[in-house]
Amino acid sequence: MAAMQNADAVVELTNVRKEYSDSTALDGVSLVVRAGEAVAVMGPSGSGKSTLLNMIAGLDRPTSGQVIVHGSDLGVLGETGLALFRRRGIGMIFQFFNLLDDLSALDNVALAAQLTGMKASQARARALELFGELGISSRRNIYPAQLSGGERQRVAVARALMNRPALLLADEPTGALDSRSGEQVMDLLLDLNQIGQTLLLVTHDERLATRCATRVIEVVDGRIAREHSMERA
Amino acid sequence: MSAVWSAAWAAVRRRKLQTIVIGVVVCAASATLVMALGLLDASAAPFDRAFATQQGAHLAAAFDPAKVSEAQLKQAAGQTVSAGPFQQATVDTSTGEVFLGTLTVVGRADPGGQVDRVSVWQGRWATNAGEIVLSRTPGSVGRMGVGFELRLPGRPVLKVVGFAHSVTGSADAWVSPAQIGALQPNALQMLYRFTQADTAAQVEAGQAAVTAGVPQDALLGTLSHLTVKDKATSELGVFIPFLMIFGILGLAVAVLIVANVVSGAVVAGLRHIGMLKAIGFTPDQVMAVYLVMVSIPAFAGCVLGTLVGNLFAKPIVQDAVEGFGVDDLSFAPWVNVVAALGMPVLVASAALVPALRARRLPAARAISAGTTAHTGRALRVQRWLSGTRLPRSVSLGLGMPFARAGRSALTLASVVLGVMTVTLAAGVTMSMTAYNDAVRPHFTDRVELMAGPPQGGPAVRPQGVEAPAAKLSDAEDESMLRSLPGTTAVLAGTQLDAEVAGGTQEATILFYRGDTAILGPRVLTGHWPDGPGQVVVPSRFLNQRGLAVGDTVTVQARGNRTQVKIVGVVLTNNADEIFADWSTVDVLAPGARASFYLTQMASGTDRDAYTAAAKAADPGLQVLPPRDGSSSTAVIIIGAAVVLTLVLGAVAALGVFNTVVLNARERRRDLGMLKSIGMTPRQVTVLLVTSMGALGVLGGLIGVPVGIVVHQLVVPAMAHAGQADAVDILMNVYHAPLLALLALTGVVIAVVGAVVPARGAARLSIATVLHNE
Repeated sequence: MAAMQNADAVVELTNVRKEYSDSTALDGVSLVVRAGEAVAVMGPSGSGKSTLLNMIAGLDRPTSGQVIVHGSDLGVLGETGLALFRRRGIGMIFQFFNLLDDLSALDNVALAAQLTGMKASQARARALELFGELGISSRRNIYPAQLSGGERQRVAVARALMNRPALLLADEPTGALDSRSGEQVMDLLLDLNQIGQTLLLVTHDERLATRCATRVIEVVDGRIAREHSMERA
Repeated sequence: MSAVWSAAWAAVRRRKLQTIVIGVVVCAASATLVMALGLLDASAAPFDRAFATQQGAHLAAAFDPAKVSEAQLKQAAGQTVSAGPFQQATVDTSTGEVFLGTLTVVGRADPGGQVDRVSVWQGRWATNAGEIVLSRTPGSVGRMGVGFELRLPGRPVLKVVGFAHSVTGSADAWVSPAQIGALQPNALQMLYRFTQADTAAQVEAGQAAVTAGVPQDALLGTLSHLTVKDKATSELGVFIPFLMIFGILGLAVAVLIVANVVSGAVVAGLRHIGMLKAIGFTPDQVMAVYLVMVSIPAFAGCVLGTLVGNLFAKPIVQDAVEGFGVDDLSFAPWVNVVAALGMPVLVASAALVPALRARRLPAARAISAGTTAHTGRALRVQRWLSGTRLPRSVSLGLGMPFARAGRSALTLASVVLGVMTVTLAAGVTMSMTAYNDAVRPHFTDRVELMAGPPQGGPAVRPQGVEAPAAKLSDAEDESMLRSLPGTTAVLAGTQLDAEVAGGTQEATILFYRGDTAILGPRVLTGHWPDGPGQVVVPSRFLNQRGLAVGDTVTVQARGNRTQVKIVGVVLTNNADEIFADWSTVDVLAPGARASFYLTQMASGTDRDAYTAAAKAADPGLQVLPPRDGSSSTAVIIIGAAVVLTLVLGAVAALGVFNTVVLNARERRRDLGMLKSIGMTPRQVTVLLVTSMGALGVLGGLIGVPVGIVVHQLVVPAMAHAGQADAVDILMNVYHAPLLALLALTGVVIAVVGAVVPARGAARLSIATVLHNE
């Protein structure tokens, strides 16, 4: 466990490189994300932004460099350690929702808490609470295939928030949604950040970045090319 | 290269794991199929097969050389295919060091010829003076090997140079024509093959034809192949139901697993099918792509499996049928033809059904069908499981089989067959062991002592060991043994070769006295003889002679004749043994003494000290080494059961393996998501193993009772084939702890099959899976 240099830093990347057999996805990226920030990572396709997200989520390991999240050096954690880290430390939202088709919306959300050992009844109660907050209570017993894209992403957000993670990671959260549903999800993320939820978004969508982010980082060819703070729209 | 071939070849190369799984499964299934069909073929008519291979004699006849010449016999045979005449001698070995009964020895220059091509399966044929070849069924040399010297007073020393088998049973031993003269031949042997010999009447007609020109009283005796066949089938027929059921099981497992794997491969490719349609492939081309895709590894697996089956299944079949004298173990051509053609047809059929369905599906639906099916039942089950207290990885796993009901059903069927095989094999093994223990007791607390040469029956002694010759009288020996420290029971007995009126074969009468209730054979029905003129017999004795308990038969030995009443049935393996009370010996062999004693020692008695004390009291007694209790039939059946169980269990586990591979591939997105929200690799493994474990539990619960039912059908069939009764010790072999263990084999098959692909899935890269949408 490495000591954090910045007391309020939630994420700290130091000179992170990620090489694949025929390419370099990240080339010496250093980044700090502080508590309460909403950071949008932007860039063209293949620039390395999803790889960056994977490093922070512990879904992939850097070739060199250090990734520290909530004070934990992810490089020293084994697969089980990373799973426990993801379980408690982060929530993830995906472009294609990634809900289990054979579980109802409520059970999809409760699942995240049940993995921590919470009883089914308690997990469902907590999930219902989130459904209420996200305005989808009436859809709790519906299966993913019968939900609209916006509803599915709200369910995915509820699942990501289930274990009250300090960091919420979103990979193109509006990329598969129509404009109206996308707007709803943007509002939701904005609301979450405004009540203190730290966010890190990977997106192509400038409107999402403008609307939700407090800081935008632009990644080009595996490096951070530009970085600037934002005034929310 | 056509578009179909290009797409199919690309799919084969891209889906390496699937290709390997199909290849391996078809290979294993083909090998199993070859074995199964080989067993069915071998069990169909092993005697007939051996008879055809050896050009067995339909009739073996012995003629008196004083009344008919060799030339006359040859002339009388006319156009009938025949061999001989060979000079034949009768050699009594009872006065030698090794007792082999009365041997029919034939002087024969070579084992081949048009009739009765004797199979020399060890050593070589006797070509020189002083050499002998003994008749034994393949694999049953006994305690004498090649090089053993047979010494009989007044006869030349004969060295065993080989072991051979005549399916006709034309002789007990063979020597060269030059040697037979020294053995004082007393008959001429002729061997005939008739054009029609399927019935006794046809054999009799053939006999009449070949003896028409022979003086009437020159014919000393004949042996029909029908009699030989009856005897061989009764002794070795126990194998046939056993082999048949394992053959059927192997066939069923092979068909099931191939259907599961191939249809699974097509279903798993539905999405790809949709995409092919979307880019312009016609429905027929799409179907062709998939048929070619599964056929490439299937064809390779089929060729390899057929070869492997021929290599590895033969020893099993050989063990089972060599007792019939089958030495040509190449499978019948139809076995390989059916395996080589049938398996590809099976693969194509299994692929065709889902491929036809995919052919009809619109492209968009095919693409969406590529994900897991979701039925109302599956969703209800998952909802219910979500609310249980089970760990989430377990409850998710338990619900998984309901998502693909058809695939799960096929997998379950494989597990059921695997469990059934294990249950049946365990039952047959225990039945054989129990039977063996009953008929060949090998208790460590028993001591056998020989007091003198037996009156009859086989008793081979190692060379150089002196014959037993008790110094004390019969009564003194028995009294001495009873008084030895540690003795708890003593049985004294002797035996006589006897003729049973109305029978075709001789029998051995064993006369017992003393503690027969403890040391005698087990009485199944009736009671042990408790007076003169009473006997008990094995059920095979009754069956072969059409007798029943309560009947009276006439026996004759040493010129004395008496009637004895059958008062019970005992459990022994020999059809020609009669057990009588000692009081009956006075009628048939007055003054005979016990030739052997059997004693039981108290627990903790030192065997060496005990036998030393007995020898010290009567140095003429000979202590026999403890019996090993093994039977070649039991060893072969148990060995074959173990091998077949392992093969079929492995194939069933391969079915599970394939199902987990398919499920994991279909659910890789779900598994990636579960890992992304914190499911550990161990939990992913548990999830996938549990999904199969549930089928394993169910397979155990179904497979065990089915296996027991099959055991209850097979064992009586085996017993009846051996002309024995399916007694309680054969039937009641399943007990509660064993049943629990057997039920667990379903879980073992499921877990063994699932754990490797589950661990592979647990190592899945989340980043790759979740971003490859």
